[in-house]
Amino acid sequence: MASVKLVNIKKVYPNTETKKKKVKKGEQPEEKKVNLQITDEGVVAVQEFSLDIADREFVVLVGPSGCGKSTTLRMIAGLEEITAGELYIGDRLVNDVAPKDRDIAMVFQNYALYPHMSVYDNMAFSLKLRKTPKAEIDAKVKEAAEILGITEYLDRKPKALSGGQRQRVAIGRAIVRDPKVLLMDEPLSNLDAKLRNQMRAELIKLRQRITTTFVYVTHDQTEAMTLGDRIVIMRDGYIQQIGTPQEVFQHPHNLFVAGFIGTPQMNFFNNCKLVKEGNTYAVEMLGKKVALSAEQNQKLAAAGAADQTVTVGVRPVHLDITNEGFAAKIDVSEMMGSEMHLHMNIEGQDIIGIIPTAGLDLNTVKNGSQVFFNFNPALIHLFNPETELNLI
Amino acid sequence: MGSKTSLSKALVRRETISGYLFMLPCLFFFLTFVIYPMFMCVFTSFFDSNMGKNTTDVFIGLANYRELFSDRIFLGALRNTFVIVLVSVPVVMVFSLWVASAIYDMPMVLTSAFRCIFYLPVVTGSVAVTVVWKWMYNNYYGIFNFLGKNLGLIDKNINWLGDEKYALWCIILILLTTSVGQPIVLYVSALGNVDKTLIEAAEVDGANRSQVFRNVKWPQIMPTTLYILIITMINSFQCFALIQLLTSGGPNHSTDTIMYYIYYTAFKLYRYGYGNAMGVVLMIIIAVLSAVQFKLGSSDN
Repeated sequence: MASVKLVNIKKVYPNTETKKKKVKKGEQPEEKKVNLQITDEGVVAVQEFSLDIADREFVVLVGPSGCGKSTTLRMIAGLEEITAGELYIGDRLVNDVAPKDRDIAMVFQNYALYPHMSVYDNMAFSLKLRKTPKAEIDAKVKEAAEILGITEYLDRKPKALSGGQRQRVAIGRAIVRDPKVLLMDEPLSNLDAKLRNQMRAELIKLRQRITTTFVYVTHDQTEAMTLGDRIVIMRDGYIQQIGTPQEVFQHPHNLFVAGFIGTPQMNFFNNCKLVKEGNTYAVEMLGKKVALSAEQNQKLAAAGAADQTVTVGVRPVHLDITNEGFAAKIDVSEMMGSEMHLHMNIEGQDIIGIIPTAGLDLNTVKNGSQVFFNFNPALIHLFNPETELNLI
Repeated sequence: MGSKTSLSKALVRRETISGYLFMLPCLFFFLTFVIYPMFMCVFTSFFDSNMGKNTTDVFIGLANYRELFSDRIFLGALRNTFVIVLVSVPVVMVFSLWVASAIYDMPMVLTSAFRCIFYLPVVTGSVAVTVVWKWMYNNYYGIFNFLGKNLGLIDKNINWLGDEKYALWCIILILLTTSVGQPIVLYVSALGNVDKTLIEAAEVDGANRSQVFRNVKWPQIMPTTLYILIITMINSFQCFALIQLLTSGGPNHSTDTIMYYIYYTAFKLYRYGYGNAMGVVLMIIIAVLSAVQFKLGSSDN
């Protein structure tokens, strides 16, 4: 148990040298930093990364491939050198402390179980290295195995286990030693969809039993939303937003976060006009004028917003099919059971709406039919198309 | 195999036949030049044979083998062979692993350079290498005597290859230089193939460098170690060219190895049957030791 503090962390991979090394050591291909900034000093993977992680907090780093999230995690683990900035675990500055002395545990994406050791020995390994008494090792390994439901596999080699079981062993290996910080690098991404959902739920349960600080890396926003106390959304090495799942969903800081969090993606309408009429604001979009709510007016006024071009964002779940409103044509309607995903086209733009199926006449939303949709203006987001920042 | 059973029988048969056809040329040479001579070797070892040089072969049962174990020169050769194996195998193993560990994660250029240097003696013809060594060991103008005297290590010239005390060790030294190349290349690639995340996992688990090596790298390169152990052992057992070129087993049979003594008996004394009996004994020794090593090595996994 300990807090983790990252102060203005930066990571630069020096130019050619690292590239060669990477290829030689068979680094995973998704680590390709294609969309990162290449400067004179090299490839910048992470920069201006500052974050205070409280004791026992569960923080999720999320972002698309190559956004620097794994690099950040590996810097916390001590597996990557920190180019600039300061990293504290507890009160200790650990920039130059070896991984073995940081008292952290890590769960790797490919599990990284020692193939020649039994499940028991895999889990006992770190304790043995710490010269823990045998009886204590035994008790701790058995307790962890109990929590994770792998007691019956303790004598097996990792080879003889399924993906889900290996995952449990990897987690078991991390929790037996009560680490100060538990790092997880996309731990669920090698599992199939069903197992992933199951393990996700188990992680939430596990979290309640284990009192430690978690840092979790994923590219899956569902995992981020369900697991994290706070989410850190990253892109191209920069933090985009830090907040609780609710905050990032309801108040995305910029266009990227708005598009990244939430499936299906938020609908964006470009080239809309924000107009100020006296003390209130309205948005002109798709040939109609939409008045904004009092709260939105207040925020816009506080920010001193003037007439300008804006991008309007509306989440699919906030679209309603109504008798009047914006006319659109349904291209494809997908029946999902309790809800329906409508892929619509309005003035050449593709948008998605999610509507509940309860009490819905399916004939009205057939492929190719003409419908009207509307939305509650209080739930829309306005973005400055240049700075990409949320205006509200 | 599993996927094969799902194919139709006719298809499997056709594939099998074409497979054997592809093998045929190779199989022909293998049978003619490897299996048949091996069989003949065992067969003639029961005869008093000189391959029809003077007389016809006479069946004498196990007499050749009985003679072997009272032949002092053979027993001496056996002892020399074991000395060579027992010294060179551990030294080669330890040295090559040490070099490979040191160079495998260097920048590519350096790794390649070192690999090349250590592999050079392997690709250079053994005759050429041996001739150079022979010059270095020379009693009158060899570099060892020159350096030894100038540095004050020795008082007077030593006849390295002509002295029973030193001759065998001189041969072992040359054998070492030509034996480490292959293991280093193999170890460099084996160490490079150790899963990087396993090493990272061990580091995070709290292992220091030597613990990472012992608990992660060493088990991971075990198959390579086993392979190197066996090829080095066989290579040492079959040490021949060096002896033939440098000392011809002398002085006073002090550098005889089984391989050289087989050659000497069969092709100098024309006692083919007796030579073949030694060959069979050597084959059995190597086979047994290899089997034991495989057994020990694979029980770890």
